[in-house]
Amino acid sequence: MTQPITLTLDINGRTRTVALEPRVTLLDALRDHLALNGTKKGCDQGQCGACTVHVDGARVLACLTLAAQVEGRQITTIEGLAGADGGVHPVQTAFLERDAFQCGYCTPGQIMSAVACIREGHAGSDAEIREYMSGNLCRCGAYPHIVAAVRDVAGAAS
Amino acid sequence: MTGTDTKTKHGDASDGSSNSLGARLSRFDGPDKIRGAARYALENHPANLAHAVIVQSTIAAGTVRAIDVAAAQVAPGVLLVLTPDNALHLDSASNWLGAPPPDAPYLPLARTVTFNGQHVAAVVAETLEQAIEAASLIRITYDATDAIPDFDDPRAGEGQPMDPMKIDWGDAETAFAAAPVRIEETYRTPREYNVPLEPHGLVAQWDGDALTIWEPSQWIDGMARTYAEWFAIPFDKVRIVSPYVGGGFGSKALACAHGAIAIMAAKMVGRPVKLAVTRPQSFTAFGGRPATRQTIALGATREGKLLSIVHRGDNETSVDGFAVEPLGAVTALMYATANLSSRQNIVPVNTVLPGPLRAPGENPSAFGIESAIDELAYAVGADPLAIRLLNYAEEDPHARKPWSTRQLREAFAVGAERFGWSRRTPAPRSMREGNQLIGWGVAAGTYPVRRTAGEALVRILADGTVEVASSSIDMGTGTYTILAQTAADALGVAPDRVRVKLGDSSLPRAPVAGGSQLANLMTGAVHKAALAARDELIGLAINHPSSPFRDVQANTLVIADGRIAAPRGNGPAVPIAELMRKIGREQIEVLRDTLPEASRSDEDRYKNFTTVATMRSPTDGDYSLHSWCAHFVEVRVDADFGTVRVSRVVSGIDSGRVYNPKLAESQWQGGIIMGIGQALLEEGIVDRRHARVVNNNLADYLIATNADIPDIEVISVGIPDPHASALGGKAVGELGIVGVAPAIANAVYHATGRRIRELPITLDKLM
Repeated sequence: MTQPITLTLDINGRTRTVALEPRVTLLDALRDHLALNGTKKGCDQGQCGACTVHVDGARVLACLTLAAQVEGRQITTIEGLAGADGGVHPVQTAFLERDAFQCGYCTPGQIMSAVACIREGHAGSDAEIREYMSGNLCRCGAYPHIVAAVRDVAGAAS
Repeated sequence: MTGTDTKTKHGDASDGSSNSLGARLSRFDGPDKIRGAARYALENHPANLAHAVIVQSTIAAGTVRAIDVAAAQVAPGVLLVLTPDNALHLDSASNWLGAPPPDAPYLPLARTVTFNGQHVAAVVAETLEQAIEAASLIRITYDATDAIPDFDDPRAGEGQPMDPMKIDWGDAETAFAAAPVRIEETYRTPREYNVPLEPHGLVAQWDGDALTIWEPSQWIDGMARTYAEWFAIPFDKVRIVSPYVGGGFGSKALACAHGAIAIMAAKMVGRPVKLAVTRPQSFTAFGGRPATRQTIALGATREGKLLSIVHRGDNETSVDGFAVEPLGAVTALMYATANLSSRQNIVPVNTVLPGPLRAPGENPSAFGIESAIDELAYAVGADPLAIRLLNYAEEDPHARKPWSTRQLREAFAVGAERFGWSRRTPAPRSMREGNQLIGWGVAAGTYPVRRTAGEALVRILADGTVEVASSSIDMGTGTYTILAQTAADALGVAPDRVRVKLGDSSLPRAPVAGGSQLANLMTGAVHKAALAARDELIGLAINHPSSPFRDVQANTLVIADGRIAAPRGNGPAVPIAELMRKIGREQIEVLRDTLPEASRSDEDRYKNFTTVATMRSPTDGDYSLHSWCAHFVEVRVDADFGTVRVSRVVSGIDSGRVYNPKLAESQWQGGIIMGIGQALLEEGIVDRRHARVVNNNLADYLIATNADIPDIEVISVGIPDPHASALGGKAVGELGIVGVAPAIANAVYHATGRRIRELPITLDKLM
């Protein structure tokens, strides 16, 4: 169980090779082994959404995913959301402008979910945004501003 | 510097005309947070880091008979199994008032168990996974005794009277008995939990007798004091680093047992140790709001004018600790009455010691009195808004002092207007759309203005930029942003030329970020320090032999847009950087505090920043200082299923002068949203067989999700309050939640005709 295995992971367009115990979650691999701390651990049991990343473009909870499960898949974290030019994604800009966060801890997960929510075509109305953003908890209570940020970007894209 | 006038074009932040304070700027810590680049405490990984995992008790009362560590000790990667048997000796620490500790050791790992989920053992291993596995191999046997699961257990008794909470004026019992209209009901709130999204925990590293701790903290200097006392090291040997805090809501202000365990483990293994409390463990690693019950008797005239309030309240506490949730806080403040009596008991049960959760006291207190006044409105046939205005308190009825400012009437007026209150039909069940029963409710809230002295360092650098430094913190409260705005205005520079450093013991000290006091005390300290820095700069500009202003013959200069000039625009406008170069200065550094002149010794300073003993009450002085709010809520209740949805909220809010409306509105809204969750969802459920909170996770302890929250409109009606704070602000952070739950309960009554007096308002209570 504790013998490390060598994994080759495609993270944010880069190939990363890392030796991990097979039981290490994708979340802990990112945070504790790959210095990608943008993905947050809020509950470690799939209930809060703070660890949301994209695997092959779909939102996935990194705390319920073993790192070994995602070999050969494309993983995107908050650090890889921006373009290669170092700019920020329009959803990130909208979160800042709408003040869609306070403490900031759930924010990377919210932004990853928001990007996917728009891409999935689930941002057609405020009610739909609320529903499809409800897997990401925010204890500071930024929900109305999160809806506004998603609406801004979805509206601009349509 | 004598002879310098300190007026500047943009600098006077007290007059409300500045172009930075009061502006809707996006938060300055935002760019790092949206990129995932803000590094929270547990993301610091010093070399050679080991990982600790805690094991908690599975009984609520008794003693630990034996801990079998054999299997854990030989599990792969294990460095240390920590139990009460091999734990280091720790001293007890003083409490947050600075009261001397008992002459007994502090035991973060329990031999004597007093609540289910108490820390008993810990494992330190090379990796987190190894520590988790080894922790699962520890076998603990107990000699269990009977536990008292909650304060409804008859064995809990009546509890202990809290004499300092006693409030009396007039003859409340007699006046109640003689009143033409009398109502008397009991209101209850369950255990509620802070659950910030960032879990508690820390990384602890020893370097000789110096200790570095990365830990999310609402009070760096207070926690450092406790750690120093537990480990018997000097205060200045403890450095806590906490630049970002992933939510606290009261739960990250004090050092907890898990902190002692991690620091002890780091000492024993001679390596830095990271300990993250798991989400389930967080429900008993520190306490949330205790369960409360309060009986309120209102005596009134037939028109609904209050004659008497008799109030009796209880809250749970732990078997060996004091936690007081002051249930009379709003009861004795909100309405004018000639007679009032309030009492409070605390009832020990087998629970973790409860702690502060957003507006401790005011929150459940408002649920009681703001529900009761609504009941009185129906009893006398009055409009719920009108009865509140009928009983409006023109002065503080308890302290008998004038309000500094009380814009509550304005909050009611603007809220009612925006909400459309005049279109409300009074009878319960009278507003309906299809299968939805619609209810409109109103309730008021309040939160006191607390005041502690602050300290700040302001540094003008050679390039004309400015640094502000303080060990105070920003947990989403906007500290980074408003302190930059404050310094910018005082110094006449643009806010983006100011860098604010927070959250590190190495910076000037700060009191607790609690009681909604930090923004006001820190803007005051930064304003003072920045004005002093400006004076020094202007003094140098006038007097320095190399200054371009040497021959201007001005007795003052102004600074605006980062340039220094003579007041009437004659002569040059010199950028600060150019002046600094000409006078050969690398920096101008000023440290200022707002301590009273008579309390500036080292001991005074230590006490001010590491205890709450110097925090001034809202009625210390000639005025009674409070923030106010009025919430108007619409609910829709499914007529068949009893499901309650909040469909609209409009709130008028008086927090005095608002330093950054964009960020203040977010905090008010956040409080209202937490209040919606409190009203409809949040409840720690105790398995009475085991005195255990069974819904100790985020899927079973329900907090509001995005889909639970409608549009919320918050409207500031505050005016600058010079008695409340240096720059005119009042409390913000804890205000918004106060009064939300009763507004919802009142709306549910209006929708359904069912008065729910016990939170949360779940469908079973409406069936």
